[in-house]
Amino acid sequence: MSLRIAVDIGGTFTDFVCLDEETGQLIEEKAHTTPGNFANGVINATKKTGINLEDTSYFVHGTTVVINAVTERKGAKTALVTTGGYRDALEIGRANRPDLYNYFYQKPKPYVPRHLRFEVHERLNYKGEVLKPVSENEVVEIAKKIAKEGATAVAVCLLHSYANPEHERLVGKILARELPGVEITISSNLIKEWREYERTSTTVLNAFVKPAATKYLDTLQKQLEEMGLGIEPHAMLSNGGTATFARSKEVPITLIESGPVGGVIGAAALGKIIGEENIITFDIGGTTAKTSLISKGEVKVTTDYRLEWTPKFAGYPVKTPIVDIIEIGAGGGSIAWIDDVGVLKVGPQSAGADPGPACYGQGGEEPTLTDANLIAGRIDPDSFLGGEFKISIDLARKAMQPIADYFGISVEEAALGVIKTANYNMLNALKLISVRRGHNPRDFAMVAQGGNGAVHGPFLAAELKVKKLIVPNYPATFSAWGMLMTDLRQDFIQTQIMPVAGCDLERVNAIYREMEQEALAVYEKQGIAPENVVFVRTADLRYIGQEHTVRTPVGGGIIKESDLPLIRQAFDRNHHQQYTFSLESAPTEFVNFNLTAFGTVKKPEIKKMDPAGSIEDAIKSERVIDFDEQGRLKCHVYDRAKLGPGHKIEGPAAVEESKSVTILYPGQSLVVDEYGNLIIDTGV
Amino acid sequence: MAKVDPFTREIIAQGLIAASEEMFLTWGRTSQSTIIYEVLDYAAGLTDSKGNLIGQANGVTGFLGAITYSVTATLDKFGLENLKPGDIILTNDPFTGSGTHLCDVSAVLPVFYEGEIVAFAANKGHWNEIGGKNLGSWSTNATEIYQEGLQFPVIKIYEEGKLNEAVRDMIAANCRTPDMTLGDLYAQTASLRIAEKRVLELLDKYGKEAVLESIENLLENGRKLALKELARMPKGSFEADGYIDANANNLGNVPIKVKVTITDEEFIIDLTGSGEQVAAPINCCKYGAFSAGRIIYHAILNPDAEPNEGFYSPLKVIAPEGSVFAAVRPAPVSTNWEATSHITDLVAKALAPVVPERITAGHFLSIIGTILAGIDDVTKQPYVLCEPQAGGWGAGCNKDGESGLVAIADGETFMIPAEVAEYKYPIIVEQYAFNTKTGAGKFRGGCGLIRDYRLLNSNGELTTIASKYQFPPWGFAGGGDGSPNVVEVHKADGSEPVAGATFSNYPMYKGDLVRFISGCGGGYGDPLERPVDKVWQDIKDEYITVAEAASDYGVVVDPDTLEVNHEKTKELREKMRKTI
Repeated sequence: MSLRIAVDIGGTFTDFVCLDEETGQLIEEKAHTTPGNFANGVINATKKTGINLEDTSYFVHGTTVVINAVTERKGAKTALVTTGGYRDALEIGRANRPDLYNYFYQKPKPYVPRHLRFEVHERLNYKGEVLKPVSENEVVEIAKKIAKEGATAVAVCLLHSYANPEHERLVGKILARELPGVEITISSNLIKEWREYERTSTTVLNAFVKPAATKYLDTLQKQLEEMGLGIEPHAMLSNGGTATFARSKEVPITLIESGPVGGVIGAAALGKIIGEENIITFDIGGTTAKTSLISKGEVKVTTDYRLEWTPKFAGYPVKTPIVDIIEIGAGGGSIAWIDDVGVLKVGPQSAGADPGPACYGQGGEEPTLTDANLIAGRIDPDSFLGGEFKISIDLARKAMQPIADYFGISVEEAALGVIKTANYNMLNALKLISVRRGHNPRDFAMVAQGGNGAVHGPFLAAELKVKKLIVPNYPATFSAWGMLMTDLRQDFIQTQIMPVAGCDLERVNAIYREMEQEALAVYEKQGIAPENVVFVRTADLRYIGQEHTVRTPVGGGIIKESDLPLIRQAFDRNHHQQYTFSLESAPTEFVNFNLTAFGTVKKPEIKKMDPAGSIEDAIKSERVIDFDEQGRLKCHVYDRAKLGPGHKIEGPAAVEESKSVTILYPGQSLVVDEYGNLIIDTGV
Repeated sequence: MAKVDPFTREIIAQGLIAASEEMFLTWGRTSQSTIIYEVLDYAAGLTDSKGNLIGQANGVTGFLGAITYSVTATLDKFGLENLKPGDIILTNDPFTGSGTHLCDVSAVLPVFYEGEIVAFAANKGHWNEIGGKNLGSWSTNATEIYQEGLQFPVIKIYEEGKLNEAVRDMIAANCRTPDMTLGDLYAQTASLRIAEKRVLELLDKYGKEAVLESIENLLENGRKLALKELARMPKGSFEADGYIDANANNLGNVPIKVKVTITDEEFIIDLTGSGEQVAAPINCCKYGAFSAGRIIYHAILNPDAEPNEGFYSPLKVIAPEGSVFAAVRPAPVSTNWEATSHITDLVAKALAPVVPERITAGHFLSIIGTILAGIDDVTKQPYVLCEPQAGGWGAGCNKDGESGLVAIADGETFMIPAEVAEYKYPIIVEQYAFNTKTGAGKFRGGCGLIRDYRLLNSNGELTTIASKYQFPPWGFAGGGDGSPNVVEVHKADGSEPVAGATFSNYPMYKGDLVRFISGCGGGYGDPLERPVDKVWQDIKDEYITVAEAASDYGVVVDPDTLEVNHEKTKELREKMRKTI
C-alpha cells in the first residue's frame, strides 16, 4: 500500500504518474487519450506501467469529462425552474455585447430552451423574507410538464435563495418526490452568492452534466476496482483541491477545469519544497499555453470564470471557485499564417495531434511552432520524444517555405519570425496574469512545464524580467505530479450584506459556524477526521457605494468587536494593492463571507537526488542553435538523465530529456538543485 | 529602406496597441466611479503627433472618434509649439472635438521623446457629475447646453506637470459630488502616464526610427484592409430616411436622411437634408456624427479590424452645420446618443439591401437611458438608479435576431441583476422577460425585453428617453418590422397607464410601477420561407402563437396537439404568396 497515483487526461495524451512512497521512485507514462471512452485511456496508461493497483494508497484523477460534456453539448435534457417573471433570465443573461462592432454577434445559446423553463410564482425579498409562499400545487403541475417533456435533469434557481434557501429546498423536495430518477440541482446547494443570472447559469450547467459525470466516474471506478484498486478514488477539482468520486458526482460542475489545475498546484507544492513562495506558472502544450500566478504560496482562485469566454464572446458564468488560469491558443501545434494585410500570425488554430506539425509526416502541410523550433535547431529531430518518434526537418522546411517566399527571406529567418510572433503572444499572456494585475515579475520565479515550456521559458522569463526559472523533473507530466500534492478542498460563499461598523456579530459567527459544520459533515463522509480539516476564512468587503469587492482575510474562532478594525485595515491594504487607492475614512460593508475547508491528506515525501558523475559525461552532442539576435551558436547538448545536484551549465546550451528540451540562452546559467530541478538564472 | 524586420515591426505596432489597452485597464482598475469600471463608459487611445489614431480600446462604441478629435482640438488650439512636457489638456467641449456631451471628459497628454512630440496619449470617459440643472448632469428636457454642466473648452489642467488649482477648485465648487468628480479626474490623468511609459519603453528598446516606421506601417495596413473591403462592396449611392421620434420637449419628430456613396476609395455618409437642431438634448455635434459614422463604417467594413486612422481614412461624414447632426451653440446635447444612434441606423438601413451579408435588420436602437431617483424613506439618503436597457436585435441573412442585447451605442455594458437592484434601490423587479412581438421573416427578429420596477418608496422621479417609439425597427428583404420601444407608468390606483417615449422628472409614488418595453428586432426575408420546423419550434417555445404561425408564417398547427398540418400549410402558403 505505498503507491500514489495521478492520472491526467489531456487533449492528446493521458498522463500517468506514480510515486512509490517506500522507494521514492517516480514512474511517468503517457498513453493516447481515447475520446469516446476516456476511461480506456486511463486503463491503458495504467496497464502500460505494469503497476499493481492493489498497492495503491491514493489515486487522483484529473478529467476532462465535465468540460467535454458541456462544450460538446452532450449533457442531459435539462429543465429549469425559476421565480415568476424570470423564465427568460437565463437567456437574457447580462445582455452585454463584447463584440462591439459586429451586428452578427451571437449571444451564448442557453442550455435550457424556453419551453423547458418554468416559473413558480413565489417571491422573497433581498432580506430573505417571504413575500409570496410556494404553492405546492403549482410545483406539482410543473413536475407533470417536466415529466411529459422527458427531461432527465432539473435545475432550480429562485430569486434571493442566497439569503433564504427554504423556497428552493421545498421546490426541490417536491420535484424529487414527483420525478423519481430525475437529477435535481438547487442553486443554494452549489453557491449562496447573489446575482441571479450567474447563479442560474452555474446551476443549469451542474444539472446538465450530472448524469454524464456520474456515468463516467462510476464506470471508471468499477474498472479500476476490477484491476485491484481497493480505495476510494479522488477527482481533481477546479479549485485546486480534490474530492472523492462520490462527492464529485453530487457537484460535477466543480470538476470543470479539473485538468489544467494540477500544474499550478504542483508549482505551489514545488515552491514549498524549494523555498519559492511567489511563482508564475507557465505551461506550453500542443495547442495552448497556460499561465497562473501563486502569491505568497497561495494559488489564486477566482469566481469570475466564464466558460467559452473570449474577448468577443460573453461565455457562460460558472460561480464555483476555479484556479485563476489564463490560457491562449499558442502551443507547439499552433499554425503560422499570413493575414489579410500581410501580417504573420501564429495560432490560435492548431494542427493538434492529428495531423500534427508538418515535421510529424502525418499529412500536416501548414507550418507550426514546432516546425519553426526544429528549423532553428532548438528541437533535435533525432531525440524528439526520446527518439521514439521520428520527425523530418525537410518536411518542416517545406511547410515554412511559403512564409519565407512571402516576405522574401530565408526559411531560417521565417522560422525565427514564427518563434518571435509566438513568443510575443505568450509574453502577453504572462503580462496579463502578472503586470496587468499589479504584480512585479521581478518578485517571482517562473516554473516552466508542458512539453514546450522549457523551450520558450528561458527567453520569455528574461523578457518578462523574471530572474529565476525552474524546470522541474518530468516537466511534460508535471500536471499529474501536481495532483499528487493536493489536499481535499471545499469552498463556501455566503452573500450577506451588512456594514462592517456595528455589524451583527452573532449573524457573522453563525454564518461561519454553519459553513464549517457543513464542511465537516461532507468530509466525514469522505473519511477525513475533524483534526485533519483546516479552515481558511475570508470575507468580501467593499466601500459602500462601490460595486466591486476585495477578498480580505478573517481570523478563526469567535469574531469579536475588537476584530473588526483589523479586518477593515486588511481590506484597505488589499484594496490599495489591487486598485491603487484606498479610502480609509469611507464606510465599508461585508458582501460575502467565504470559507475554504482543506481536508489534509498525507503527502509523499520528495527525495533528494543522488549525486551524478562529472558534467562532461552528461554532454551527449553538439549542435548549432539559432538564438535570433544573439546569433547561430554552436552549443553543447546535455542529457538531463545524467545531470545531478550541483552541476552547472553556462548558456548557450540545450538540456534534453525524453519529453522536453530546455534552451539556455547566452548570458544565462543553470544549476541543478538537490532535487534535480534545473534552476536557471535568466541573466536579468 | 526598412529599419526593422517585418516581425519586429509588427511587435512594435502591437506594443503600441497594447499601451492603449493597458491605459484602458488601468483607468478601470483605479477609478472610484462605477460608470467607469462597471459600465465601461470610457475609452483610451494613442495618436501620432498629428492626431492620427494608432490604437484605441473601448468599453462602448460611442467613443470611437473621441481620441482623434480630442487630440486634433488640442492641436488646433495650442499647436505643437505651445505644448510642453507634463501638460495635460482637458476638454468636454462637444463643439470643438470632444463630440458627445459634457459628462464625457477627454484628457490629452503629449508624449515627448528627445525633445519632440512623437505621440499623444488620450482618453475620455463619463464623469458621474459635472454640475448643471439635474443630478448626474444629463436630462431629457434641457433647452440649452448651459443647463447641462460645466464646460472645459480645451484647457491645460496640468501645466508642465503642475495641477491648475484654480480649475480644480472650480470643478469642486460646481459639482454635486466634488470628491468623486475629482477622483475621476486623477484616475483618468494618471492612466495617461501608463501609456506614455510604455511608448517611451518601445522608443528606448527599438529606437525612434523603428517605432515611427511601425506606426506608419500600421496605418498603411489599416488603409489596405479598408480598401480591400471596399473593393468587395457594390459601388453607388444608397439612401434612407426616418425620424428621431423621441418627442423630447414635445417638439415632435425630427426628420433625418442619409445618402451613402461607396467608391473604390471612399465611403461617404452625407446627412444633408436632415432636420435642424432642436431645443431638446437629442442633438449631436459634428464630431459626434463623425464618431457615429466610424461605428457603422467599422461594422460594415470589418468588425474585426483594429481601430486606427488608416482604417478610417476612406470615411467621410458630411453633416450640415446647424442640423440635428451638427448642432451649434447653444444647442443642448446631453442625450446626444439619440442622434448618433440614428446615424448608424440610417446608414445600416440604406446599405442593408445591397450588402445583406454585412448588416442585420433594424434593432431597438435607443439605449433607453433611465434615471429613477428620490430620497429613500428608510435611510433618508438619495437613491439614484441610472442605467440603459437592453432590447431586440434584427435578423440577418443567416440568423434570427438576438434577444435582449444592449444597443449599438453600448457595448460591454452589463445589465444590473434584479437581486442587486432590489438591494440597492427601494424597488421590486417584478418581471424581466422577453417581449415577443418580433419582426417576422425567413429569419425572425430578436425579442425585446419587459422590465418592471415597482416602487416601494413614498417618492421617486422617472427620467427616461426612448426613440423608435413610433417607428419600429425595420425589417428587410421581405422581413417584417419589429416592435417599438415604450415606457409605461402604471399607477398604484389602477388608473389608465401613461405611455410615452420621454419622461422628465416624472413623479412616482409608492406602489407605482414603471414598465420598460424595449422593441423587438426586424425580420429578414420572406416569412413564408421560414422552415416549418423552426416555426413549430417557435410555437413550442412560446415565441409565437398558433394563430401568428398561420397569419405571419402560413404554417397551420393544431392548437391542441401542436401537430403541423403539412397539407394545409402548403395550401395556405401558396394562397398567401399569391395575394402579395
